Amino acid sequence: MTFEIIDTDVLVVGAGGAGCRAAIASSEADLDITVITKDILGKAHTVMAEGGINAALANLDPDDLCEIHGRDTCSAGAFLNNQNLVEILVEDAPKRVYDLENFGAIFSRTPDGLIMQRPFGHQTYRRTCYAGDRTGHEVLATLTEELRRREINIIDEVFATSLLTKETRVVGISVVDIRTGNFKVFRAPSVIMAAGGAGRIYDVTTNAQADVGSGYALAYKAGVELIDMEQFQFHPTGAAIPPAARGRLVTEGVRGEGGILLNKVGERFMIRYNPRSMELAGRDEVARSIATEIREGRGTENEAVYLDVSFLPTKIIEERLPTMLEDFLDIGIDIRNEPMEVTPTAHHVMGGIKIDASAATNLPGLYAAGEVAGGVHGGNRLGGNALAAGQVFGKIAGGSAAKYAATAQSPSLNRRAINEEYERVMAPLQREDGLSPSMETKQLQRVMWDRAGLFRNEQDLNAALQFINDHQKQITSQLAVRNKATRYNTEWINALELQDMLLVAEMFVRSALLRKESRGAHYRTDYPSLDNKNWFTNIMVAKHNGKMTLQNTSVVVTKWPPPWT
Amino acid sequence: MAKKQKVQFRIQRFNPDIDDEPTYVTFKVPYSDRQGVLDALHYIFQNLDSTLAYRWNCRTGQCGSCAIDINGIPGLACRTVVDPSKQYTLEPLFNFPIIRDLVVDLGPGFRRLEKLRPYLERTSAPDRPEKLTREEISAAMELRSCIECFSCYAACPAVASAKQEFPGPIAMRELASFEFDPRDQGDRVQLAVTSGLYDCTSCGICKEVCIPKHIDTRRTAVEGLRALAVERGMGPLEGHQGFIKQIESTGYAVDVKSTPLTDQLPDVIDVDDPVDEVLFYPGCLINLRIQQVGLNVVEVLKRNKVRVHIPKDFVCCTSVAFRTGARAIASEMVIQNTDYFRKLGVNKVVGLCPGCMSTIKQDWPIILHEKDKPPYDFEPFDINEYLVDQLGFERFNQQDLKPLPIRVVYHDPCHLNRHQGISEEPRKLLRMIPKIEFIDVEDSDRCCGAGGGVRAGRRELSQEIARIKYEILSEVKPDVIATSCSFCFIQLVDVVKNSNSDIRVMNITDLLAASYRGESLK
Repeated sequence: MTFEIIDTDVLVVGAGGAGCRAAIASSEADLDITVITKDILGKAHTVMAEGGINAALANLDPDDLCEIHGRDTCSAGAFLNNQNLVEILVEDAPKRVYDLENFGAIFSRTPDGLIMQRPFGHQTYRRTCYAGDRTGHEVLATLTEELRRREINIIDEVFATSLLTKETRVVGISVVDIRTGNFKVFRAPSVIMAAGGAGRIYDVTTNAQADVGSGYALAYKAGVELIDMEQFQFHPTGAAIPPAARGRLVTEGVRGEGGILLNKVGERFMIRYNPRSMELAGRDEVARSIATEIREGRGTENEAVYLDVSFLPTKIIEERLPTMLEDFLDIGIDIRNEPMEVTPTAHHVMGGIKIDASAATNLPGLYAAGEVAGGVHGGNRLGGNALAAGQVFGKIAGGSAAKYAATAQSPSLNRRAINEEYERVMAPLQREDGLSPSMETKQLQRVMWDRAGLFRNEQDLNAALQFINDHQKQITSQLAVRNKATRYNTEWINALELQDMLLVAEMFVRSALLRKESRGAHYRTDYPSLDNKNWFTNIMVAKHNGKMTLQNTSVVVTKWPPPWT
Repeated sequence: MAKKQKVQFRIQRFNPDIDDEPTYVTFKVPYSDRQGVLDALHYIFQNLDSTLAYRWNCRTGQCGSCAIDINGIPGLACRTVVDPSKQYTLEPLFNFPIIRDLVVDLGPGFRRLEKLRPYLERTSAPDRPEKLTREEISAAMELRSCIECFSCYAACPAVASAKQEFPGPIAMRELASFEFDPRDQGDRVQLAVTSGLYDCTSCGICKEVCIPKHIDTRRTAVEGLRALAVERGMGPLEGHQGFIKQIESTGYAVDVKSTPLTDQLPDVIDVDDPVDEVLFYPGCLINLRIQQVGLNVVEVLKRNKVRVHIPKDFVCCTSVAFRTGARAIASEMVIQNTDYFRKLGVNKVVGLCPGCMSTIKQDWPIILHEKDKPPYDFEPFDINEYLVDQLGFERFNQQDLKPLPIRVVYHDPCHLNRHQGISEEPRKLLRMIPKIEFIDVEDSDRCCGAGGGVRAGRRELSQEIARIKYEILSEVKPDVIATSCSFCFIQLVDVVKNSNSDIRVMNITDLLAASYRGESLK
């Protein structure tokens, strides 16, 4: 077969906050930079980050220091964080925020005209810089403008199917051009993986549709090591309706302003779980409490609980929660008069591709940044640290990749492997009859939600693993798309995504099965407490001899020793 | 159990690889509470037809991927709630090439944006931290909230008619976002002027379709940039200068060609047992060019027992100055008018021209505030609004209306419909006329191309927009095109004449007056 080969020096996979920042950093060198994105430049999931970006600028609280930002990050992460990476995060975050300003971002201001900072959960000081309630959008819009200034080559609507390797280095990537259906190869000495998270593996999620976890899957298939894949953050309040927006983030600010949670019989149930903090208990605890109410039959018919602010003065709602008010008004719910219906929702992968201080992976030429990279957040991520990590490690990855590309030998391709990949990619399109990608995906999302979600135990996780393994076998040989036209064939892309999702789900479940304790976001009902003696360790996942292999590795501790040591 | 309610979705299908032209396929989708149009598309894709192509990503109105035409109006599928009593036609965004079905190639829009140096330009980086006040950044922040869904671009009548010359509201918004950014040192105003700043008709559709961001591109970006263009000697266009000079020398936007309305009428038109008392603000066109329209307004008010004051010494409302950026002359006229009206002591001002009335309602208060003047002490009303909502339907003189057996189609003036929110009132008045056959067309609110100084400054573009509007209106074969705007009126009269058509153009009050007088319009 023949296929188009496009040569570039640095290939960035993903055009979210991290990918765009990486491309900008790479473009400092005199190299050819190409960014590919599954959607359109400016529309990545980054735009949905509302809250802000953490940087210890100390604009409001003069006592804040990078050091304290680091301590907060590690303490929230149950000390699973790689502290080398945390040090870099907290020290570079202020510089990256100023970079964004240089590129054109406008952050909200203090009365003195400095960048405004808001308090966020589990942080000692007001540290989260923001632009109204659309910080992620401001960040990505700014990066988009900077990419346009630099005339960096962006290719929209391209789906990456596999990382190409030869002689233990990365040499490029194979893709399907969604708009034409053409199979193509990008050949590049350096590849930056910045493909975002995997919330879509769960039935209910805050994540955009693009976030199916292909970045993790592609890395794994290429022999790359991943870390902490059992650590998945659930946000307590996602909108329950309308169906297409199920899981959409309902900001913590609603509870911060005094919103209360009620079950279907009108009981303020948090009194039974945490009578002291009530609705403002930790995110994981509130999420588990809501899930318990729904599980035990005290949820609404939309499998949700009520979040009510209607008793608050109308003016407070209008002034302090304008976006929420408008979002709900659009779907016909006036939160000034009636309660919202909310459900816990899958939010963020703390784990991911294992990187070092230069954002390098164990595969030469491959770098990773943003949500797809693991190790920074440990067992739980601070609100505001995701945007920060994307900027910090995006820049590092871009610089490292450019440096590598400048000196690396030009890559050659393994054509046999590419032919095999082509066969795999085309198979569901050519199969006349078989399993439907939509239905299969729904089943996987449901199984993951029910068996590997907020509450985990040996039995459920084993059942999930069984499901995943069964379906992996079936799907390789039986998945078929009814849509045969190659142009913008969503069903076909979904079929390819499903194979990635199953692989990521397997990493989640196997890691969760291994960790026999509860730490960070990982909660085992059969091992409900922290076990520092046996489990103060990271879990690494990688492919060895064709098999998914898990291994404990010691946590990197530098400045912030855990309290039990 | 009741059978589940279904909603009908008629969807445009097109695969350029194999199809010669688009076709439509209809799907029936079970309705569920608070269902969005995006939910319906998902249902179709998952259950009825997996070959359907549509684009979406965040599903919460923050990424702008799912913009499509929903019953002819661009909008986000994820933010549009399904009304089970309606049927839906879904089409790809206008003004873009189709990739497949509902998916368009936004490339042309993006490329036009990219040409405008859409990034912050400053000669050197500042010291950190940089101080910026909240006031300094507020306008730029609003304009930066755009999610690039291109709904405004797809809806814009100037984009559709100016072709390559106008990069659309989104581009004007982008340029304004830098112009109003205190840090930016690029010359955005000049770029805007050479990129079609004066192509905007002020129709306001861009804000209407900007959901959920509600960016007022017409007002904040276009008129903001136009004001700066005038300040810097780059605007308004040659075609506007005459009007501005005319206002400066005579107080009116046009010259005197026939006896002004104010000279044809007494100071006060009295009626027996008046139910109300108003001042009629004719505006320049009615006073100096189309006096009969004004006489008809007075007749309708008289028939309804309203005592009418005629402001002999009024001057131009300066809508044209506001819309094209000539704010200095605008201030002068506003103060002159408001001082004069205060002296006349009438507390209700009624006008037919929505250009005048929206300017009086929305722009005058800003000028008075800027100039430290007290707010005006009258209430301004559009004539339709006055007759239906103020005078009241029950008091309206219906019994003297005589049959008018003609076929009428209505054109919504943008300055009445979008800028003042008045669209039901004129329709109510039309329907009141006995025997009238009123046809309401879907695109009744599409711009006629007259506003925003485009008729004066960009005549060809204006005529092209008018031609499209005329095609829509004439398709239903009306005897009369009704409207309620002196500006739309002369624009439509022109296009009817150019099309060699015998369709008549009349204002609502012209029709009411004809009906009171028992005229036959056939």
